[in-house]
Amino acid sequence: MKKKKNSSCQDHIELAQFYMLNQKYQEAIKHFKIALEIKPDAQVYYQLGLAYEASNEISLAQEMYRKALELDKTLNEAAEHLKNITT
Amino acid sequence: MAKTFAVIGLGRFGSNIAKALAEKGFDVMVIDSDENEVREFSEIVTNSLVLDATDERALKEAGISDVDVAIVSVGQNIDTSILITLLLKELGVKYVVVKAVNDKHGKILQRIGADKVIYPEREVATRLAESFVSPKIFDYIELSPTHSIIEIAAPKEFVGKTIRELALREKYRVSLIAIKRRIPIITNKGTPDFKEEINISPAADDEIQEGDVITLLGKYEDLERIERL
Repeated sequence: MKKKKNSSCQDHIELAQFYMLNQKYQEAIKHFKIALEIKPDAQVYYQLGLAYEASNEISLAQEMYRKALELDKTLNEAAEHLKNITT
Repeated sequence: MAKTFAVIGLGRFGSNIAKALAEKGFDVMVIDSDENEVREFSEIVTNSLVLDATDERALKEAGISDVDVAIVSVGQNIDTSILITLLLKELGVKYVVVKAVNDKHGKILQRIGADKVIYPEREVATRLAESFVSPKIFDYIELSPTHSIIEIAAPKEFVGKTIRELALREKYRVSLIAIKRRIPIITNKGTPDFKEEINISPAADDEIQEGDVITLLGKYEDLERIERL
């Protein structure tokens, strides 16, 4: 049962990343969010932040980068993006 | 019945108001002591007069008492604007709007009977400040009191259309200077990120995509229309 949950979470992340690379940000956001509901993860919060930033939702992007950093203080890319869009 | 207007003082503010009112089809009388300024308006407005607006008799003869609204905009000259305002009220103009240059000037104008005192510079500044806090505007450069450059998230209505289809200059009277686009990439570490690409002076066939940030040049009010999309 646990395994299935993880794989479905991973499916959504992969789907979101696929949409992201194809610049379908709204679709990417949708699947990142589903993945995060299943299992909160710093890297996924960061990527959701990227999707928000790419679609110019700056305050939501900031929020996601912050959440990513709460879960993983060493996630430099999140810190960097947060800095770039906050200044 | 349509209102009739008199615009006294054809500086930048006065002449823009007079033009805008005439374009909307109102009867407009313009008054300035400078013949050259007035001549420019002879074909635009109903009545254009070269006269000294501090001369009570001249104002009376011009029929100023019959206008519904008089707009006084005589530049930085505070004494003149006060005197003209006083005369207009004495001659029975129903509604007198006066441009003030500062608070003190504004207070005096109100005291002598101006129906509305405006501070155009301050109002424009406030509006700009408001637009600046709009989350969709990323950057902003003021070129002149009327024109600026803004960097703004491309409105949804623009997505999927080419520059030619958008016809920004015709429809909105603004020029598109650049399109900034974030291209998703996978970094060496295997994590997603994106890089920014800037397309300066885009071609007519270039298309706006979701997430694009566009840089526009135009008049403040035209840029504001796009911002509201």
